[in-house]
This record gives sequence, C-alpha cells and structure tokens, in this order.
Amino acid sequence: MAQQNGTPPEMINLIVDGKTISVPKGTNLIDAARVAGAEIPHYCYHKHLSVAGNCRMCQVQVKGRPKLEIGCNTLVTEGMEVSTHETSKDVADAQAATLEFILANHPLDCTVCDQAGHCKLQDYHYEYNARPSRFLEEKEHKVKAQPLGPTVILDGERCIMCTRCIRFCDEITKTSELGMLNRGDKSVISINQGRELNNALSGTVVDLCPVGALTHREWRFNTRIWFTKQTDSICPGCSTGCNVKVGVRTGEVVNVKARLNSSVNKEWLCDEGRYGFNRFLPTKRVTGVTIQGKEGTLDAAYAQLKNMSQGETVIFVGTDSTTEEFALLKKLVEGPFKNAHVVISYRERTLSKVEAILVSPDYAPNYKGAESVGVVSGNLQEAYERALSDTGLGKYKNILVLGDRGILPEDCSGSIVAAFGKTHFTAAVLTDAEHPLAGLAQVLIGGRSILERSGVLINRSGLAQYSDRVIDPPENTEPLWRVINGLHKVCGQVQISGVTDRDATSWLVGALAKLNGASIKVLKETGVVTA
Amino acid sequence: MAHRQILLANIKHQDQNTIAGYESRGGYQSIRKALAMDPLKVIEEVKTSGLRGRGGAGFPTGMKWSFVPRNTGKPVYLLNNTDESEPGTFKDRVLIEKDPHMCIEGMMIAAWALQSNWSAVYIRGEYAYPYTRINEAVNEAYAKGYLGENIFGSGFTLHMVVHRGAGAYICGEETALINSIEGKKGQPRLKPPFPAVVGLYGCPTVVNNTETLATLPWIIQNGGAEYAKIGTEKSPGTKLFSVSGHVNKPGVYEIEMGCSMKQFIENECGGIRGGKKGKAVIPGGSSVPVLRWDEIDNITMDYESIRAAGSMLGSGGFIVMDEDTDMVQAVMNLAHFYAHESCGQCTPCREGGHWIEKIFRRINSGKGLVGDMELVENLCSQIAGHTICPFGEALATPAISFMKKFPDEFKGLISDALVGISKKRVQMNFEGAGAH
Repeated sequence: MAQQNGTPPEMINLIVDGKTISVPKGTNLIDAARVAGAEIPHYCYHKHLSVAGNCRMCQVQVKGRPKLEIGCNTLVTEGMEVSTHETSKDVADAQAATLEFILANHPLDCTVCDQAGHCKLQDYHYEYNARPSRFLEEKEHKVKAQPLGPTVILDGERCIMCTRCIRFCDEITKTSELGMLNRGDKSVISINQGRELNNALSGTVVDLCPVGALTHREWRFNTRIWFTKQTDSICPGCSTGCNVKVGVRTGEVVNVKARLNSSVNKEWLCDEGRYGFNRFLPTKRVTGVTIQGKEGTLDAAYAQLKNMSQGETVIFVGTDSTTEEFALLKKLVEGPFKNAHVVISYRERTLSKVEAILVSPDYAPNYKGAESVGVVSGNLQEAYERALSDTGLGKYKNILVLGDRGILPEDCSGSIVAAFGKTHFTAAVLTDAEHPLAGLAQVLIGGRSILERSGVLINRSGLAQYSDRVIDPPENTEPLWRVINGLHKVCGQVQISGVTDRDATSWLVGALAKLNGASIKVLKETGVVTA
Repeated sequence: MAHRQILLANIKHQDQNTIAGYESRGGYQSIRKALAMDPLKVIEEVKTSGLRGRGGAGFPTGMKWSFVPRNTGKPVYLLNNTDESEPGTFKDRVLIEKDPHMCIEGMMIAAWALQSNWSAVYIRGEYAYPYTRINEAVNEAYAKGYLGENIFGSGFTLHMVVHRGAGAYICGEETALINSIEGKKGQPRLKPPFPAVVGLYGCPTVVNNTETLATLPWIIQNGGAEYAKIGTEKSPGTKLFSVSGHVNKPGVYEIEMGCSMKQFIENECGGIRGGKKGKAVIPGGSSVPVLRWDEIDNITMDYESIRAAGSMLGSGGFIVMDEDTDMVQAVMNLAHFYAHESCGQCTPCREGGHWIEKIFRRINSGKGLVGDMELVENLCSQIAGHTICPFGEALATPAISFMKKFPDEFKGLISDALVGISKKRVQMNFEGAGAH
C-alpha cells in the first residue's frame, strides 16, 4: 500500500490474531486483517463505496471493548488487539448466526440461480456456518424477476439487503435510481418512482451484488458458471483499460464481470463495454490468405506485401492492436518500410456525464501504446482524418489496413472504396468477412480479434496491462504481430523467432525500456506505470 | 405521599398552552436569566443538577452537551425528540399538549448553552393534536419575538421548526431521527461518528428528550443544586411515569425519584383493577425486562434500584399486568411490535425479529416444539449487541425476560402440543395493524 508520491503514510502497529502487523493510518480492520493473512468475511463493505455496516458479517473482537465491532467501520489504532473468527469463539458464533439470519428468508434456490458457484452466500455458509438452518417458519415472499431497467433484473427474495447497488447509484453515478422499500424482513430493493436503472454503468450493480439477486437481462439463465472458462483480461472498449473477468462458453462470451483495480476502474464497468464484448467476434470470419481473389499462402502474401516498401504507402492500424504489434511496426517503418506513413484510427467522441466517470472519450484501447513506442505522434485524430482524405484523393500508391478498425467501418465511404479500386496495391488483415474492405483488398489475410490474442495494452493514464486471450482463435488465422513479423522476415531481419503471443510479449519487454523488464505476471496483476 | 410537581405543576390550567397563560405563571423568566449567564455556566448548572436524559438511556444531560465541539465554524443543531413511540410511553405528549411553552423555553435554554441557532421539534406522526398545540405555541412565540432574531434583546438568534415524523418507532433513535429530518429513510446511522460531532446535515447536533428539555426552566430558575436535592443521589429530580395496564387509574404521574414502586401502584395508580392480584410490571417501556410481582416489593422508583432488580427505568412507560394476563400472548404482542418496527437495515434485527415473532405465534397456536424456548434465547443472544442501533436489545430483552420470568406458561403450551391435547387457542389478530 505504498504511496506513489508525497510523504509516506503514518504507520500504525496492531495485533491481529496474535500476529503483529503495521498498516497505514486510516485503514479499517477488514483491510488490515488481510495484511495479517486473515480473512474477515463481509457482504456490504466495498472499498470504493461508503461504509453501510448493515450485513454484520465482518464482526471482530477488539480487546477492551464490550461488544463485537464491525471490521468495516473500525479504524486501526495503535496497539489494538483484534481477534477474528480464528481466535474468538464469540466472533465465530456471531458470524454463524448472521449467516443463519441471512438465510432464514432466502429461497435457497441455488439449483436454478446464476450466482451458484460464485456466490458469497454459498462460500461463507460452508466456511463460517455449515449447519442446517433452525428456521421452520414460512419464508417471506417478495418480488421475483422484476426488471429494474434495460439491463438488470431483480430477484427480491435472494437479496440480502447489503445496499451496495443503492450506494453505487447514489455515490458513484449519482443518479439515485434505486432505493429500499418497506421495513423489517419485508424490506426490498426497489426502483424509485418513475425511474429506471438505465445509467451508463448500470450493469455494474450486478457485479457488486454479492448474491444472485441482481442478474444481467442479457445473460440470465444462459449457463452455469462452472461450464465457462473464466479469464482475467482487459476491456478493449476504450482507453480506460478496465480490468475484467470474461466468461466464455462454446466460443461465445457469456459473462463479463469487472475486476477490482483501485487505480483503474475500481470495480466498475460501463454497459457499452460489458455488453459489447461479442462485437469483437464477427459471425462470418476471414480465414486463410486470399491473393487477387484466389487462395494463397502466407509466404506468397508476404512476398507481395514486400513490394509496398516501394512508392507512397499508407498503413492504417487499428487502435485495438497490441503494443507488441505497434513496436514491431515501428521497427518496420524505421527499416525496410521507410517510405510508409502510419496512422491509427483515433477519434474522440463526447461522453455523457455518467460515462465520463469511467469511460474515455474514444474507442481506442491502445492508442497510448502506439504513442509509447513512437510509431505515431502529434494530433492522432487529425493525422487519421488527413490520411483518409488523402487516400480518397488517390494520393497513395499502396494501402495496408491492419485490423478491422484500421479504417473505422463508418469511414469506409465511397471515396475510400473507390480509392481501393484505383490504387496500385492494397492489402488488409481482417477478421470480419462482411467488412466493407474485405472484398476489395488484393491481398487479404485472416486475422484475429483482440479477444483472440494476448498482448500489452497501455491505457490513457499510461498503465501497461496484459490483455489475456479470452477465446481460442479459429484455424487459419494470424495474429497481427505475426504478419508484421513475417514482413520483417521476408525483408531479411528476424525480430521474433517464437510463434506464441507470449513470445511476442517477452520480446516487447526486452525491447521497450518503459516496461522495466516486468514479467507477464506483474503486467497482469498490477500493470506497469509507463507515463 | 404528595410528590413535588415540577413538570406537571401547571397543566391543570386551561390556558397554560397559550403564551399569556404560561407567562402569567412565571413563564419565560428562566430564559431571560439564562441569557444573562455564560453559556458554559448554564452547562455547569445542568451538570450540578445531575439531570439524566429522560428518553430511556439516562445519560447525564450536562455531560452530553459538553461533547459538542465548539467553534467548528459549523452550525450546531438542537433537536427535541418527541417521537415517543414505545408501547406504554406517553409522557411527552402531556407536556407538548398541555405546556408547550415550557418545552420551547427549555429548548431555548439548551440552545443558548450550546450556542445553537437552529432547533427543531421532531414530533411523532400519530400525535396529531399535540402537533397542532406545539405548532401554535411556536408560532405564538415567533409572533411575540421570543423566537427568531435577537431574542429578549440579547442578540441571540434561535429558529425553531416543528417536524412531524411519519410513524416509525425507530425514528426515536437519535440518528434515525436525524435521517428522517434530512428527508431520508428513518434508519439509524453507524456510530462513530456520533451526532454530537457529525449529526444533522453533517454538523454537531444534540438530540434531547422533551421531558429533559422541559425540566431546564425549573433548574435555571431554582439552581442545579436545588434540583439535585430532590430524589435520590444518583437519580435526582422528578420523573414522569406513564402508567397503563390493569390499574384503576392509568395516566401520567410526576413522582420524586426514590419512592416505593408498590406504594406508587397503590397510591397514585389506585391499585390493581377489579381487586385482582398483580402478576408483572414492565417499569420503563416495553423494551425493558419484565419484573414479576414478587420482585417489586423492595424496589424504589429510580435508575439504580430498578437496575439492581434486573430491569431498567427507561422512558418511564409503566405497564402493570394482573393475574389474568397471558404472558405468551403478551410477549407475542411485543414481538410483533418489534418485528413490525425493525427498520430492516441490519441483518440480525431484520431477520431475527420476525423469526422470533413467528416462533411465539407458533407456540401460542399450540404448535410449539421442544427446543423452541432455547432457540429464541439463542437468537436473542445473537441479536442483542450485534446491531447498528440499540433496537436489537430492545427486541431481544422482552423476549428473553418473559420466558425467563414465566417459563411455565411457555413450557405448558409446548408440552400440551407434544401430547396433542392443545386446543387451538384464540389468536390475537395483528394482521392489518397499521404502523404504531
């Protein structure tokens, strides 16, 4: 918890379960216990929301205090002696009782609940109670399957009233769509009168829900969690670089969850990013190599592409390319392709007030990576638009489009399409067979989407993070870096001898001093500050 | 024994609720005296009097005031808690209804002591008539220049609003009351921070009970030392008791602390109704432990004596039950109240309250099981002390004490159920009961 600048924080010494630890002043007991290697279970507490203290799961014993204290609302003090459930029977009993209370009116419908398998109620019950309930009375009945808005649906009976969702809408988006109705065990989360939960970050409440009360309308009932492959990765929607966990089943993204990263996205995620994951997976794919309308080989394609080093050449690169790819490209235009002019498809957009909390004003996840390796500089949007109009005017002899978003689909206007017809030589690496340029390029190579390849993405604030492959790529497709590497090869210089994405990353870490020689593990877990 | 009347001395006068009537009997003299004193001196005087908060907890008032940080640059708020919603408690109603100006004057004194320019009377929603009375009185005081800017030419400003609750017991808890005034749902806040530091709108706030505040004019007029002479050493002064239940003369009585409980029932309350024997007494509002009739012989009416007997003086809601009372149904009624009034914020109270009510209902309906009593006791022990506010204790205490003091009534029903001879008992119908 070291501070990056300023004076070091004042440290407080305390004892947790007999272990002496030292944590910065202002830390609460939940976070302090983690330092001591102890877990204090909790539902309502969230690091980036206000303290509600209502779940009563995080109770601990503090020596010298008459009652149990809640860990979330108790700050460390010098010499404090804290006992968790490990060392205090009172705490263990209180937590077991709390779970029994929470589960008293819970429907226990785990067999049909989407949360089963990653549910805090299940986890904590097995760990902290694990007894059959003594509740013999009739359970309270509440609303089931109530849509809160276009994205989220509520099951009132599963809800444990932790109010994380309410606090998120009150404190983070400041839109206050949600509230709590009624009292006692009739309490229920509700949409405020005349409102609906439709802010730009609305899906985040599902991530924050520790149980199965809130579910995505998009993804409800589509799979059990244990049938999915879960991968920690980075959202390629914009240059914020939100940390996500992506669930994939049978080649389709079936769940996207934000991961906690205090320095990037806290634990929030925008709806556009979350529900838009499948847009990176076109239904009709470009595979193999097509040269002049006929099936060809990669080597033949590279041989043709080599000719681009002669004459006026423009290279349009998608901003969802990895830093490895930008670095390889930089080497290419420094060497054999000296004549080529590289632009990336960077365009700013305007954000709504709620979006601005998290979202960056672009769709360019790695424009910063391109800047970092020096392949582009200056006003990116202006350069991109100038290159577009120059292309339309027929100024370039060769056009190379790297990635579906090399030229944004909305920019593939008549003049661009016409230029493709007129230009001496055109080539593209694409994934979507329905892309407007797919049928026009003289050399077309089947590429891989950002979800199908791994690599380093550098976000708007300069944090380099590892975007892990979440989906297995289809056969006969090439990651962009291998295409560029192939060009290097055909021009007589080998940059990367390996074939996996990891080999490319290792090469990049060696080549880019800003990454400090960090391992993939470090890039994945904390990232590396490059700015 | 004739008890000294400090709070109820003038309620017999029909015009006591008007400013003219109140002033004709010496009203608004204490505030004049207080304004001439140093605010800290006023706090000292209240400390000397030994006055303890009359809302239930019995915390020394002067000490509570001294926790308020001074000169923070933020306004200090004074709130008069007239939410009294606990079953059996209806003492503040008399003060607000019959002698509202005494309450206002008490608030003025407290406000001067705390240097607060903003105050509010938080009155229970169901108190429709008392609300009109206090509202009239506040308007009258404003019209006469007793409230507002530069009161009594002292340069001191005090504004006062009357705020009606919407009928929730929990709003008597000071932080829930603050939330309610802010327009939020009446749910208690986490402590710390305490309202004395971070209260209404994030500013230092003092919440005092109406009876506490109404005592202040007398203390300032006659001196704290004089007040301390009344009653017992640790429980000085007089206290209002609102008597309900099976007595001949239920009502609100002002008695000097330290008088005998038995004598109080016999003399003031006129004894048990219909010449019957007593069975139990709840001495301080429904949330305190019940006392069996044989336990009250030597109890005197003050904080220490009642505590020594295992109960609490609380708010002075004095409920007397005669020999015919069915204790299972009595505790079922209380359990229903607390389950119904739980704010629903924190887990043990939200889920546990209803659970306990359902168990009592089951026992009462002849479907009790062996182990039910132990289960209730265990649940109560896991509710009390594990909640955000003291509601958890309020809910658990009567449940445990009724079972502990009258175990045979519960056991009898459960063993009848066991052998299947239990008749379906008359169910008390709480369904459709509105907010209390």
